[in-house]
Amino acid sequence: MLHTTRCRSIARLILPLAAAAALAAETRAADKHPVYVGARACAACHGGAGMGCQFSTWLMSRHARAYASLCLPAARPIADLSGIPGDGHDSPMCLGCHATAAEAEPWERDAGFRLMDGVQCERCHGPGSEYMDMEVMQDRAAAMRAGLRMPSRDDCMKCHYVKGSHAAVHKRPKIDIEKAWAAIAHRTPASAAAEGLVEKAPKELAPGPKYAGVGACAACHNSAMMNRQASSWKLTGHARAWAVLATPAALEIGRKKGLSAPPQASAECLRCHSTGFGAGEGRFLEGFTVADGVQCEACHGPGSEYMPEAVMRDRLAAKKAGLLEATAERCKDCHKDSCGKPFDVEAGMRRIAHPSKPASGVTAGGVRYKTPRNLAVRPGGAEVWVACEAAYSVIVVDVARRLKIAEIAVGGQPNDVAFSPDGRRAYVSNRLDDSVSVVDAEARAVLATVAVGDEPHGLVTDRSGALLYVLNSATDDISVVDTKKLLELRRLPASRNPWSLALSPDGEVILATNTLSRLVPFRTPSVSEITVIDARSGRIADRYPVPETNLLQGVAWHPSGEFACFTLNRTKNLVPMTRILQGWTITNGLGIAWKDGRVDQVLLDEPNAYFADASDVAFTPDGRHALVSSQGTDRVAIVDVERLLALLREASPRERAEVIPNHLGKSSEFIVKYVETGSAPRGIAVTPDGATAFVANQIDDSLTVIDMTALAGAGRVDLGGPKEMTHIRWGEKLFHNAGITFQRQFACASCHPDGHVDGLAYDIEADGIGVNPVDNRTLRGIYDTDPFKWEGTNPSLARQCGARLAAFFTRLGPFTPEELSAVNDYTVTIPRPPNRYRAAGAKLTHAQARGKVVFERTHTNDGREIPPDNRCAVCHFPPLYTDRSRRDIGSRNWLDTQGRFDVPHLNNIYDSAPYLHNGVAHTLEEIWTRFNPYDTHGVTNDMTKDQLNDLVEYLKTL
Amino acid sequence: MRRRLLGRLSGAVASLWVLAGAAEAPAGAGGAAEPCLRLPYVYTKWKHFTTENGLPNDHVFAVRSHENDLWVGTENGLALIDKRRGEVVKVWREKDGLPFQAVTGIDVDPQTGAVWLGLFGGGLARFSGGRFDHWHQLNSGLVNDVVYDVVVANDSVWCATTAGASRFDTKTGEWAIFTEKNAPMEEIWNYAVDYDPQANKIFLAVWGSGVLEYDLATGRWQEYIDPDGEMEIDLYRDDGINHVIVTGVTAIDGVMWVSSYFGGTRYDGRSWRGFPDIEGGLPSLFNNNVRGRTAYEAWYCSDKGAGAIVDLDPETWVQYTRDGKTGYAVVKQRLRPEDKTLATVEVIETGLNVPHTFVVNADIEGDDVFIGTSHGLGWGIGEGYYPRLKERPRMGRARAERAAPGGVSAPAPK
Repeated sequence: MLHTTRCRSIARLILPLAAAAALAAETRAADKHPVYVGARACAACHGGAGMGCQFSTWLMSRHARAYASLCLPAARPIADLSGIPGDGHDSPMCLGCHATAAEAEPWERDAGFRLMDGVQCERCHGPGSEYMDMEVMQDRAAAMRAGLRMPSRDDCMKCHYVKGSHAAVHKRPKIDIEKAWAAIAHRTPASAAAEGLVEKAPKELAPGPKYAGVGACAACHNSAMMNRQASSWKLTGHARAWAVLATPAALEIGRKKGLSAPPQASAECLRCHSTGFGAGEGRFLEGFTVADGVQCEACHGPGSEYMPEAVMRDRLAAKKAGLLEATAERCKDCHKDSCGKPFDVEAGMRRIAHPSKPASGVTAGGVRYKTPRNLAVRPGGAEVWVACEAAYSVIVVDVARRLKIAEIAVGGQPNDVAFSPDGRRAYVSNRLDDSVSVVDAEARAVLATVAVGDEPHGLVTDRSGALLYVLNSATDDISVVDTKKLLELRRLPASRNPWSLALSPDGEVILATNTLSRLVPFRTPSVSEITVIDARSGRIADRYPVPETNLLQGVAWHPSGEFACFTLNRTKNLVPMTRILQGWTITNGLGIAWKDGRVDQVLLDEPNAYFADASDVAFTPDGRHALVSSQGTDRVAIVDVERLLALLREASPRERAEVIPNHLGKSSEFIVKYVETGSAPRGIAVTPDGATAFVANQIDDSLTVIDMTALAGAGRVDLGGPKEMTHIRWGEKLFHNAGITFQRQFACASCHPDGHVDGLAYDIEADGIGVNPVDNRTLRGIYDTDPFKWEGTNPSLARQCGARLAAFFTRLGPFTPEELSAVNDYTVTIPRPPNRYRAAGAKLTHAQARGKVVFERTHTNDGREIPPDNRCAVCHFPPLYTDRSRRDIGSRNWLDTQGRFDVPHLNNIYDSAPYLHNGVAHTLEEIWTRFNPYDTHGVTNDMTKDQLNDLVEYLKTL
Repeated sequence: MRRRLLGRLSGAVASLWVLAGAAEAPAGAGGAAEPCLRLPYVYTKWKHFTTENGLPNDHVFAVRSHENDLWVGTENGLALIDKRRGEVVKVWREKDGLPFQAVTGIDVDPQTGAVWLGLFGGGLARFSGGRFDHWHQLNSGLVNDVVYDVVVANDSVWCATTAGASRFDTKTGEWAIFTEKNAPMEEIWNYAVDYDPQANKIFLAVWGSGVLEYDLATGRWQEYIDPDGEMEIDLYRDDGINHVIVTGVTAIDGVMWVSSYFGGTRYDGRSWRGFPDIEGGLPSLFNNNVRGRTAYEAWYCSDKGAGAIVDLDPETWVQYTRDGKTGYAVVKQRLRPEDKTLATVEVIETGLNVPHTFVVNADIEGDDVFIGTSHGLGWGIGEGYYPRLKERPRMGRARAERAAPGGVSAPAPK
C-alpha cells in the first residue's frame, strides 16, 4: 500500500514534469529552425548492414542521380518546353524536384550538404538537424515531433505527377507508384542496429598529395563553363561503384570468393570499388567519402596539389603537381576480367566521357526566329530599324532597296527602337534584360547598355535628345534617362503596363499608352489611361482616363499636333460572353486624345468583320491618313483622317460619349482601304516623305511595304529568319490570329498579350450566365501546372483550348487536332520571365528571408500549431508552389456557385494582379487583410503587419 | 491716442537701446538720429487663405511649397494655391478622388513632381497627373493609417504614423516598418519625419522617444533623448533635447531643429542649445512643429503664434502673433551674452500676419514662409528678405520689459 501510494505520488510528480518536458521539447522543436544535413550525415547510422545498407540502396536509386540527370540531352528540350531559358542545374524550377533543399537558404544547409547528391533522404523525410540524433531517432514519435516526416505515396506524386513537358520528351508512361515505391524501398531490418559509414576528418594530414574527393572537384567541374562534368560522372557506374557492393549480387560474389568481410569492408573489393584505397592515414582531406565510389581522383590521381584553379588552368603545372591522364591502361587495372565481366575499353571510355565542352549543336531554344515587334525610320529616311524580339537583335533595312542590310545584336527580347533626333544613336528596349541598348547607328555597334525598370517596351527621346523616356511595362513606371550621362534620372509613375509613347510635333508633350486598365472595384467597368508627360519638365502633367477600355497600345500624334490616335480594345468583361449587343465580347478601336484632354473613341470593326487587336498606329506626314495594324486579322486599315474628324464633329456630345464608341457601322465611313500584311502585324512606320509605310510582321519575320500613293501593298522585306515553320511557331501564329473566332473578333492574344494577362475578370458561360466571374490567368510558364481553369476542371491545355474554347469562347469550329497541338505546344513554351525580386542564385534579402520563415511556419505567434492543411507551404510547395488541387479557402462570394478553386502557382506572382479567383484582391496584402477574415486561407490573422510585409516580400521571389 | 502711445514708447525704447546697443551702432551714426541696429528681417506683408477665399477647410494641418505650387492639407480636403496668381486654383475633397479627408502631411518628390499625402486615418496617397493612388494598411504594407507626416527621400517615401514609421520603396514596391522591434523606439507614436539630403539621413520625431536619426547608407540608428528623462522640467538647458515628447524635427545644413510641447532645441552635431520658456524667445512652450530654414533660422509653430529664431549671436527671435484686430512681429534679442532673458527690441504692427495664433505647420521656400494655423493659412511674402541680422533702422517701437513666460508681450490694443 505504501509502495502504491509512493508510486502514485511519484507519478503525480513525474507526470506534470514529463508533460512540461514534452511541451518544452515541442516548443524547442518549434522554435528551432531545422537545417539540411545531407545524405552522408544520414549514412553515419543508415550506411551499414545493420540498417539494411539503406544509404547504399539510395545511392543505387535514380533519386541519387536526379540532379546529375539535368545534364542529359533530354533536359534541354524539357526546359525549352517549360519556357525555362537557362540550364536546368541553375533553374529553381528544375531543382525543385531534381535536388534537395533547392529552395533553402545557404544557412539552412549544413556544411556537408551537397546539392549534387540529388534527391536525398531529407527531400522526403524533412531537414534532419533536429531529429538526426540517435536517441531521438530511436523514438519515432519524438523524431517526428522534431521534424521527421514519413512520406506517403501522395508526397511522391508532388514531383512525380505527369508533367507534360517531361512526357513529351521522354515518352514514358505515368509512373506506377506502387512499383516505384517498391524500387526505392529501404526498410529497416527488424533487428536494426545503427551502423554506418563514419568518416572522421583526419587528425593530422600526411605530407604529399592527398585525396580531396569528387565534391571538391565539382566546385569547378560542375559549372556550366565546364559542361557539368561532375554530373556526367554521377551518371556513370563509377559513382555507384561503392554502393553496388551492398547489392545482393555483390554479396553473392563475395560469398563465392570466400571473402571474410562484407564487400564494402573487403580490401579486395574496395581496391577497385573506391578511390584511394590503401593510401593510408592522413591521405584524405575532409569532405572525401568512400561512398562516392570511383571518383575523379581514381583516374587522375590525388588532387590536393593540382586542384587550385591557378594550377589547373596551366596544364603543365597541373601535370607537374600530380594530375594524371586517364589512360586505357589505368582502366584495365580494375576492369580486366573483373568479377568475370568482359570489358571493352573503348566502349567504357565512351560511357564515362565527360567533355568540358558541350557537343556541337546542343543549344537552347532550337530554331531561332526574328519576331519583329516594332520599328522606326531613322532620321533622314534612308533606313528602317526593326527590333526583333526572338533574335535579340535590331535589323537595319534599306528603305530604297527594301533590303535587310545589317543585323546588330542587342539585349534580350528587344521590343522597340527609337532614334536620337540627329539619327546618330538608336535606343533599343530589351524586355528580358530590363535595359536599353545604346547603338551607334553609323558604326552599327552597341555603345552602352543602360539599366531601366522591368520589361521595358516603348521609348522615345525629347526634342533635344537630352532625355530618353522608357516605358517599364512590369513596374508600371517610366524611366527618364539622361542620354549624355547614360544614367537613369528618375522614374515617373505610369498606370498599368505602359506600352508605347509618342512625342507631340511641338515637342511639348509625350503621350504614353497603358495596356492594362487601372485596378477598379469588383464588377465595375475598366478604365485605362493615357499618361501625359510634360516634355519640358520631364514630369507627369496629366492623365486621360479612357473608360471601358483596355489594351491601349500603339500611339501617334497627328502632324497638326491637335490630337493623337491610339489603339484600344473595348472589352465587355462584365457581361456574360453570350451577349452580342454593340459587338460581342471585345470590340477593337481607335482613341483620339485631343491636346486639351478630351478623348474620343471609335470602332475599327465592321458588323461582320472585326479588326482584332489593333496594335499600332502611324500618320502620314501630311496628316491625311492614319495607318492602323490589326495583329489578329493580318491587315492594316488606312483611315482618312478628315473623314474621321468630320464624323466626330458632326456628332453630338452624347453621341460621341455613348454611341460612337460602340457603333459597329461607323468604321466604313473613315476607313478607306485595308492592306493585307504578313502574320501578326504590329509596329508601323511611315517614311518622312510619306511615300512608303513599313509594317512589322512578327510571325513572318518580314516587313510589309505599303505604297502610300496607291494605298496598296508593295512588297515584302525578308528579315532573314528561318524558313522552317516549326510546330511551336505555327502555334504562335494561331495564337495571335483571330481566324478561329466568330467574325474574327479576337484571338488568344487578345486576352493574353505577350502571353500574359489583360487584368480582367470574365463571366464565361460554361459555368452559368451571370455567375462565377473569374480572373484571367497568365500563360507564362504554366506547363506542368495543370489542371487548368480556376475550377481546376481541365486536366490539360489541349482540353482547355479545344472543344471548350470553341463552345464558350470562339463560337466557331474548334481548332483541328493539328492546330490544337500546335497552339498547345506554343502556349506551354511561353517563357516565364526571370524573377525580378530574386535573381537566380541570389541570396534572399533580410525581409525576404524573414518572409520565408513566415511562409514555412508551423506554429502561430502564440505557439499554436497550424493544421498542416492550412500552412502556406503545404498547398504552395516548390518548385511550382501549387499542389495542383482544388481547395476552399473561403474566397467564395455572392456570385460564385461553389467555393473550391484551383490552387494557383505562385511563380512571379507579383506581376499578375489582381488576385484570387475573381480578381477581387488588388494587392497581395489584400488577400489576407481583406479576404481571409476567418483564417481559412492560411493562418494569418495573428501576424503582425511587419510579418505580413515580409511574407509578401518572400512571395515575390518565388 | 494710439499714435501718442507709440511715440512715447518709441522715445523710451530709443534711449534704452542706445544704452544697450551703442557699441553696435554703425560708424557715423550719432547725434539725435537713431543708430542702425543689427536686426532681423521681419515679414510685414502677408496673404491669407481661409474658406472665404477657397480653402476647403480652415483647419490647416499641412503646407508644402514647391516651385509655383503651394499645397495645403486641411481637415477636410486638399487645396492647391497657384503662387503666381496668389489664389486657390483647385480643391479636392473625397468626392473629387482625395482618398481621405484629413491631410496631415505633404511632401513633393523633387524628381518626379508627385505629391505625397499623409492622411490622418486614411493612410498614404500619391497625387500625380491628376490621379490619386492610395496605400493603406489593408492594401499595402503601411503600418498604420494614421499618418502624421510624410517625406520623400530619394526613391522612397517615409511615413510617420501613430504605430511606427513606414518606408515605401517606390521602385520595388517594398514596404519596411520601423517600430520598437527594429529601432530604438520606446514609443511608436511618430509625429514627424524629415530627410536631410546632404547627410542622407532620416529624422523621426517620436512622441516619447525623442528624435531618431536613421542613416540611409549604413542602416544605423542614432537616438536623441532627453538626458533629464521624463521630467517635465529641464534641469540642464543645453544637454540635449528638452523632452522626449517631440513634435517636430528639421535637419538642415548640418543642424537639427527640434520642437516639443516643452520648448525647442537646436543641435549642430557638437553642441545643444535649448530654448526654454523662461528666456522668452519662443512664443510658447507648446510647439506643434518646427521648420528649419538654415543652420541659423527655424520657425516654431506654437499655440501662441509662430516664433522664428533668426540668429544665434546674438540670439534673436521674431514672434508673429496677433490680437483680436491686428498682428505684431515682436523682435527679441539677447542684448548681452550674460543676459538670462531676451529683450524686446522691436514691436512692429504688421497687420494680420498669422491668421490664428494656434500654428500647426509651416513651410519655407525661397524668401517666403507659409504658416498653417487652426484658422487658415498665412503666407509671409519675403520681399527684400535677408538671412540672420543686418544693420537697419528699427521699423517699430521697442520695449524693455521682459517677455511674460510662455507668452508674447505684444501690447494690448487700444
